[in-house]
Amino acid sequence: MEYELENPLTGFEEHQSDTIPSLFSSESDHMPSMSYILSSKTRDLDISARRQAIPMIFQFSCNPDPFIPYLAVNYLDRFISRQELPHGKPWMIKLLCISCLSLAAKMKQNDFSLTDDIQRKEGFIFDTETIQRMELLILGALKWRMRSITPFSFIYYFLSLVKLKDPSLRQALKNRATEIIFTSQHEIKLLEFKPSIIAASALISASQELLPLQFPSFRAAISSCIYVNKEKLLDCWNVMNSTVMNSYESILDMIISLSTNNTPVNVLDLHFSTTTTTSQSAAATAAIVTERDIKRRKISDLRYCNDKSFQLTQIQQC
Amino acid sequence: MEKYEKLEKVGEGTYGKVYKAKDKITGQLVALKKTRLEMDEEGVPPTALREVSLLQLLSQTIYIVRLLCVEHVDNKNGKPLLYLVFEYLDTDLKKFVDTYRRGPNPRPVPPSVIQSFMFQLCKGVAHCHSHGVLHRDLKPQNLLVDKDKGILKIADLGLGRAFTVPLKSYTHEIVTLWYRAPEVLLGSTHYSTGVDMWSVGCIFAEMARRQALFPGDSELQQLLHIFRLLGTPSEEQWPGVSALRDWHEYPQWKPQNLARAVPSLEADGVDLLTKMLQYDPANRISAKEALEHPYFDSLDKSQF
Repeated sequence: MEYELENPLTGFEEHQSDTIPSLFSSESDHMPSMSYILSSKTRDLDISARRQAIPMIFQFSCNPDPFIPYLAVNYLDRFISRQELPHGKPWMIKLLCISCLSLAAKMKQNDFSLTDDIQRKEGFIFDTETIQRMELLILGALKWRMRSITPFSFIYYFLSLVKLKDPSLRQALKNRATEIIFTSQHEIKLLEFKPSIIAASALISASQELLPLQFPSFRAAISSCIYVNKEKLLDCWNVMNSTVMNSYESILDMIISLSTNNTPVNVLDLHFSTTTTTSQSAAATAAIVTERDIKRRKISDLRYCNDKSFQLTQIQQC
Repeated sequence: MEKYEKLEKVGEGTYGKVYKAKDKITGQLVALKKTRLEMDEEGVPPTALREVSLLQLLSQTIYIVRLLCVEHVDNKNGKPLLYLVFEYLDTDLKKFVDTYRRGPNPRPVPPSVIQSFMFQLCKGVAHCHSHGVLHRDLKPQNLLVDKDKGILKIADLGLGRAFTVPLKSYTHEIVTLWYRAPEVLLGSTHYSTGVDMWSVGCIFAEMARRQALFPGDSELQQLLHIFRLLGTPSEEQWPGVSALRDWHEYPQWKPQNLARAVPSLEADGVDLLTKMLQYDPANRISAKEALEHPYFDSLDKSQF
């Protein structure tokens, strides 16, 4: 009864190919509701609740398994898309975050408990009964569909569509796509895309970075797959590229703010080179960032300023 | 739970009583099953969470009884108890076959019905197996039937620890052994999808015969029923059988002609049945392969 995000249907190995159509036909059940996605473009309140909640989830998750906070955010998105949060109750968001994390940890057979110390430090204490009630509320809203089908569920399938002889290259692509999926989870614009489209986009982005020569054939193979809507894929890929680029910038910004020995002038002289490392560390993948990029970041996208703590804790996770 | 009006008790499921109930607002008929899943200090038990969510995923296909929702009510101690709410079907395969055996007009189950039900059963089992789930307690009582539409669906999926198939059910009703695979009866602990295919074979024969193929009343009697018809298994036929935990020296019976046990079944059907009742689980036909068997060639598959 184990649940793995990369293989949510727990198939016997010989049956894995049989479950591919099920994955594609059920993925929409594991997304935020469509009406929410449409209205979230105009509803600032939910966006701000989400922006507060995501860093909290990463902050409270003391588990080294990065899939647990990822899954918790999936539950959070699906929950707030179906259930409006009461206004002016900041503790509600905390309770929601803790309950989502608790459910995600249980699904992954991991222990999750916030010690009273942490709770006190954070200025709240919820008793177990309150968390239980919240868990049941989330389960009801999500219809107990807790084996979320996420972008990770599609990585193996899309990788199988491209002929890559070298297993270490396959692994590198998979690792980089995984990082991209983690990094771009906070981008609200990606909520409207199906998990499979996000997986396909992440793999295409990864191939563009790591295998520029094979990239065109790679993209062609994935976009001609019968389950993939080409237009959606292109839209998603564009959003993802700018998200990933922005996240490099905010990582860089963080490095800058952390490096106390450097004067601002020195920092602006810093150049980062593209790296093809497959390390799990997001910081290690900080790619080409030029002075121009740094300037661009400074004048645009204030949105990401709020996410700094999220980036920070995510990196500490890795 | 106030949403539902309990109408009548329709059965004793493996996990407790099952009620037919009506949604007070929509009028929809449902089957309510109380589970033994109680909240503990840790909130919703992780096993319940993983298993109910797997059930939810499995019930996406029309060949599995649909889980409509999960309700919770507080018990006497104020702890929430979980109820599973399933779609309601009017009868089960046992009652369905009984109407052909007993009653004012006893007659064989029409071959086209057997064929269609077997196809739907294999579809459902293949779906479970492709999702890594063994049913482990397939029997006519667990196969729900809509007789007007000719639909058969699998119910009572036994998923894991919280739902383990017990020797005696919650209500102390003896759990039937008639559909239990020989490797389980012989104490094998590493059984797999073959256990369900054995049960499917027994159910196939039962529809054709209108009575159980191996009606044993103890584990030993159950094995002897099987051995008398299919012959006592040998090491050549089933490597490793004599090393199984509960293996003993048994009388040596020779295999009988299986076709004689199911006289109404056509030759292709007997061939499929033979492949389902192979002693060695590794030689038993899989649900997916069964769907491709010539027995189903004459079936109009466009309806599924």
